[in-house]
Amino acid sequence: MKVKKRNSEVEQNSEDRILNDLFRHKLENAEVTPSASTGTRLMRRVAMREFLRFNPARVNIWYAGAVAAAGAAIAIILASDPSTENKTTEPEPVEISRDVPVISKSDKIINTGDPENRNTRENKSAREELEIQETAIRNSGNEPIQKMRFDSEGAGKVSIPAAEAMHEVTDMGDRKIRLFAGDGSYMNASVTQGCAPLQVSFRCMAAAYDSCLWRFGDGGHSSAGNPVWLFDIEGEYKVTLTVYSSGMVHNSSVMITVHPKPEARFEVICENNVDSDDEILFRNYSEGAQRFNWDFGDGNGSGVFEPRHKYSRDGNYTVRLIAISEYGCADSMVIENAFTASSCFIEFPNAFIPNPNGPSGGYYSPKSDEASHIFHPVFSGVSDYQLRIFTRRGVMIFESNDINYGWDGYYQGRLCDPGVYVWKVRGNFINSTTFTRMGDVTLIKN
Amino acid sequence: MMSDQQIIEGCAKHERKAQQRLYDKYSRFLLGVCLRYASDRAEAEDILQDSFVKIFFNIDEFTGTGSFTGWLRKVAVNTAITYYHKNLKYRYHLEIEEYVSLETGVNSFEDDFFTSDELFKVLNELPAGYRMVFNLYAVEGYHHKEIAAMLGIDINTSKSQYSRARAVLREKLEKLRRLKKQYTSGKEQDIKG
Repeated sequence: MKVKKRNSEVEQNSEDRILNDLFRHKLENAEVTPSASTGTRLMRRVAMREFLRFNPARVNIWYAGAVAAAGAAIAIILASDPSTENKTTEPEPVEISRDVPVISKSDKIINTGDPENRNTRENKSAREELEIQETAIRNSGNEPIQKMRFDSEGAGKVSIPAAEAMHEVTDMGDRKIRLFAGDGSYMNASVTQGCAPLQVSFRCMAAAYDSCLWRFGDGGHSSAGNPVWLFDIEGEYKVTLTVYSSGMVHNSSVMITVHPKPEARFEVICENNVDSDDEILFRNYSEGAQRFNWDFGDGNGSGVFEPRHKYSRDGNYTVRLIAISEYGCADSMVIENAFTASSCFIEFPNAFIPNPNGPSGGYYSPKSDEASHIFHPVFSGVSDYQLRIFTRRGVMIFESNDINYGWDGYYQGRLCDPGVYVWKVRGNFINSTTFTRMGDVTLIKN
Repeated sequence: MMSDQQIIEGCAKHERKAQQRLYDKYSRFLLGVCLRYASDRAEAEDILQDSFVKIFFNIDEFTGTGSFTGWLRKVAVNTAITYYHKNLKYRYHLEIEEYVSLETGVNSFEDDFFTSDELFKVLNELPAGYRMVFNLYAVEGYHHKEIAAMLGIDINTSKSQYSRARAVLREKLEKLRRLKKQYTSGKEQDIKG
């Protein structure tokens, strides 16, 4: 550590303030857009919490529903299993010799059970209907896009760069549109419609004038002769030009249409362990777009809204989506090396309790109870793997080349002593990066 | 568009729509806060989710005095602190860096020299403890005494971590600036040549 000198402390303080101010000014209110799945995941979590929360206001809906469902379940069990029901009730009536009331009782149960049963069935069918409606809505959203995909595939274009799509529009607008209305307009706009942000160069065509005033319809104005204005919000703007010339005032106007810019957004959904022949789902969160051009980075593409794609080889791929709106406005998003960061990881716990009842061989599936007794990583996107475990003295006591086999805590059939063991792992991720990790694990006996 | 007041009232009644609005309106701002306290984007989004769960279920605690964004920020900061404590035990493998060479030649960091992305990155690279203290002290403006209480550490630890954080930051910024200068001068040469 450096020993601070007293005389430089004042200087140091002002310097610190500058550093602090830098971070404060830049980051205090900095905004970062969360990835789209965060919102949906959050809402799912909140919905779950809401459901579990005891809410007196909703007792009627949820709890009545639960009671009805439970009642119906009991009724179904009773109704579907009359033989066992009879067996248990039979001895009693024989003894007491009162057959009739008992039978009527059980009848009653079934009777009361029935309307509830019907209720739940109705509920269920209603829910099903809802689901069908929902999927119908979803489908109807997808359908036109799917149709379009065939169009675009038919055209054989895999990726239209965003610039090209933009170009068409500007081209169209570049035909200088002269606006000479009946009474003679003095203005000329380079473009009258286009995608936001739209830059338009205006020219005042009057031969001689004292002054002129442009009003751009979005609150902006200019008194320059040939202003250039940027419309960054979509909408229709009435641009007026007022020319003052030797006591005369002349107004002319033009409509500028700014089309909304679509927003291309997507995420790569890569569930746990990705093999090279797994299909990968691309989630599309684009807004305001109708056509989509996907470039998966391996030479293949798609025009589907949410495509699935199989990569024939592992590797780093750069995925690109171009979203095009009905007006031909385009936006693109690129994820470079899409299969590195989140989809490929390997993490080890730092302690585990082996099964005291004997060696298990080390095979585990993440869902089984046995998994908790075995030292193994959580991982995603691992292709090659070698795990070695050593004692503190450096004796290798375990080696595995299969990620599905972990260490069960036994060495030569005997349970190892509790304590710290050292592990080392080497391997490759599917994106062909290698990893080497080392660490320690504490074996605990209970 | 709903006003904040309407959103708050809606959230107090646990209305889904109001919650969605609140998320849409403030998630960007809050992720900015969370990202300062996290070591990467994924962690920041985890903290963001936790924060929103807290916000939705404890919105009654917002008394209406003081600014709503201030309250939201406070919840996010507290969530980040909880998250830091929860994950403290996984972080005992910390790299020991060299801070001895303290360059005092840097007297100013002009505001426009670094983008906020770069500053986030620099913060994310800090060891978790330094980052917490630096954020709380320099950006949020808490005193060392308050920070010590929040993080459950000694006041002197807070002070020393802050000064070390500063040293590391300064070094990183200086490195970054040198890199950027190299890059821009390289570009100029390209233009000239």
